[in-house]
Amino acid sequence: MRKTNRRQLLRAATAALTVLAGLCTGPAIAGDYPERPITMLVGYKAGGQTDLVGRAAAKVLSDQLGVPVNVVNKPGGGGILAAHELSKAKPDGYTLLFHANSVINTVPFLMKRVTFKPEDFEYAGMITSYQVGLAAQKNAPYDTLEEFVAWARENPGFSFGSLSPTARMTMEVIARKEGLDVNIVPLKGGGDLLNALLGNQVDLVWSGGIHYKYPDQLKTIVALTTFRHPSAPDVETIDEAGYPLGMDGFTTLILPKGTPREMLERLSTALKAAETDATFAKVVAAANIPIMYKDLDEAAAEVAESYARNKTIFESAGIEPQ
Amino acid sequence: MEHLIIGFSNVLTLSTLFWVTVGVTLGYVLGALPGLGKATGVAVAIPMTFYLHPVAAIALLIGIAKGSAAGSAVSAILLNTPGEPSSAPTALDGYPLARQGKAQKALKMGLFASVIGDCLSTLVLIALAAPLARYALLIGPVELCAILLFSLTFIGSLAGRSMLKGMIAAAFGVFFATIGIETETFIPRLTFGLLELDDGISLVPMAIGMLAIAEMVIQAGNAQKLDREAAEIDDSARPEDRRVTLAEWRRCLPVIGRGTLIGAVVGILPGLGASVGSFLSYGATQRASKTPEKFGTGMIEGVAAAESADNAVVPASFVPLFALGIPGSVIAAILIAALVLHGLTPGPMMFVEQPQLVADLYAAMLCASAILLIVGYAGQRLFAQVIRVPIRLIIPVVLFLCCIGAYMNTNSLFSIYLMLGFALLGFFARKLEFSFVTFLIGFVIGPNLELTFRQSLQLLDHDPMRLAAHPIALFFGLLTVVTTVWIGRSNSRLAARGVTPPQAGTNGPAEHSHI
Repeated sequence: MRKTNRRQLLRAATAALTVLAGLCTGPAIAGDYPERPITMLVGYKAGGQTDLVGRAAAKVLSDQLGVPVNVVNKPGGGGILAAHELSKAKPDGYTLLFHANSVINTVPFLMKRVTFKPEDFEYAGMITSYQVGLAAQKNAPYDTLEEFVAWARENPGFSFGSLSPTARMTMEVIARKEGLDVNIVPLKGGGDLLNALLGNQVDLVWSGGIHYKYPDQLKTIVALTTFRHPSAPDVETIDEAGYPLGMDGFTTLILPKGTPREMLERLSTALKAAETDATFAKVVAAANIPIMYKDLDEAAAEVAESYARNKTIFESAGIEPQ
Repeated sequence: MEHLIIGFSNVLTLSTLFWVTVGVTLGYVLGALPGLGKATGVAVAIPMTFYLHPVAAIALLIGIAKGSAAGSAVSAILLNTPGEPSSAPTALDGYPLARQGKAQKALKMGLFASVIGDCLSTLVLIALAAPLARYALLIGPVELCAILLFSLTFIGSLAGRSMLKGMIAAAFGVFFATIGIETETFIPRLTFGLLELDDGISLVPMAIGMLAIAEMVIQAGNAQKLDREAAEIDDSARPEDRRVTLAEWRRCLPVIGRGTLIGAVVGILPGLGASVGSFLSYGATQRASKTPEKFGTGMIEGVAAAESADNAVVPASFVPLFALGIPGSVIAAILIAALVLHGLTPGPMMFVEQPQLVADLYAAMLCASAILLIVGYAGQRLFAQVIRVPIRLIIPVVLFLCCIGAYMNTNSLFSIYLMLGFALLGFFARKLEFSFVTFLIGFVIGPNLELTFRQSLQLLDHDPMRLAAHPIALFFGLLTVVTTVWIGRSNSRLAARGVTPPQAGTNGPAEHSHI
């Protein structure tokens, strides 16, 4: 009886010491990481495109890391709530956010209350890109932005479907430069957008890439990214068309500030496996989402660069955060 | 057709039937528990769908959708706490029936109406998905705006005794719906800097607070009286109170037919939702009845109308998904995820490339209808016992479930605060006899009405003459005016004659709503 008591005491003391040691060295015991389930926040409701990619990525990460990766949907404000929650989480590598980097490189320029900067977070890598572009019906009498502008001059009061302030800004800049008379129709979400486009309600829409699911009915007029879309390599980018408005978006693994580099590297390597994972490929191919892997350093550089580039675009368009 | 037969042979395997049954049972039980419902079921199902065989995953999801739509009638009837807003009209007559000792009858009618509505609507989906979806595309924002305006006006007449109080409640509903980031300019409205309010007030915690918690508070105040009544009435021993009689079947069948039609049309159209379907059907039935003043006191037709439409919406909302790849509901969105995960893209190409999978889906949906009947029939015997449980034991359980349901909606405590806030509002609405039904409808229709109105302004280039190109919108606009005049007149006549029922009320908007 006595013996066990002493042994218990000894064990407790060791445990206490370990905890103390842990406290002293900070959260840097990265050697065994990960040893318990990881929580992956997704800032959209379940069932959306980002959620879909996130869950497929979580499965890859879980296979690679050997621990469960649990997806928790934390919808609100296009990811702002999830990013806020992440910034309050412990930088121990067990809470991460899978989200579009737009929450850091775009939203702060539109909302006064959002003050995220690239250096407020750590990045473990990027996996897919969004094929953002302007889309129209297949039989529309224009194939390029130049032809569209010519058509729009003849058809004042044409309608443009917009999903976001960024979409509105893009069209306003073009319309101002070319003297076009546009009616901007607010649309809510991808389903609303498809309804409007397939039902011939609007002449042109800003699409996050969902229109590529309908190659027989819809076509891309111009890519709004700095790269040409893998799904439509012949369509020029907006910068090539003469308007410096190209902005890129990537699904990014975001972690709280101060997460040790070894953990980021571990996650980055695990994420790279998604590039060649058959299930992951099937999921993103069905949704026409191109895989564009970037490791942790490339990801951090991309966020910083795009933040600076987008800042210039929004400022020169005269957009004030609200 | 041969695909459908193979589909049945694919679905009628032990494992697929097992998952359909799991889905239906899970949905039914969650729906029957106040505070929990579809949203909870989906949360449970999503992780599972990623590991299941595609047909099994889809069967599970469809089972949950159908089961929860039918199950939510149970808590509405037994406890007056609708599990989903779309079952609120079920409670209007179902709960009085239960208090009269006819709980079994109401539950059975609710289940039969659900299953019939569900089954017929599924058949509509199978036969007409592609052509219907193409037709639905003609309904653009301009038409939708007119339809929403008509729905709001028509359902608004359910206000109850005082038209003025009903309108005030509806206006409150619209007011709360304006909270959040505005879609056109993205300026936050009435959020007081709370990021949680950016996406607006979520329907789930709002409805749980307003419908379930507030009702529990009221019942807590009446606990002794309710318990005494329960002891007296208990479950009526008379057989005709326990089952649906032939005469009632005869009265209810046309009601169920109309409810199914309304539900199917509402489900196909984007942006309306199950609540609009069940409320419209209930309103149409009340208006078409020879004794409209008896609604709300335990009319079996009320239960049949609401539940048939509620369940008919579910399969119909898959029409735009299957035919065009556009999700019509949350479950449909998850279904897309499940399909895409297995390399299938929903949409017109699915019929060409994967006819077998589509047939499997259809077969699974029909099986789910049949299983729903079995599970519901077995389940309600069990659930009907709830009526004997003293109210002081029910309340804490319901409050606990409500908190879980609200929390799971966004995984944040804020939802629980919202729920409590609306419980307070719901309590005073009941005490002061403001209709929370019109409040709900204002809240559900308000945002879509605003959005489609603004879209219409832009699409019409701010020129009213351009409306001439939208005959469907003009038709519903006219219908709205006619309904308003007609409701106003029948109400004033009702007031003039005291309680005499409006004789002219047998045909009118109820007829038009068939369209």
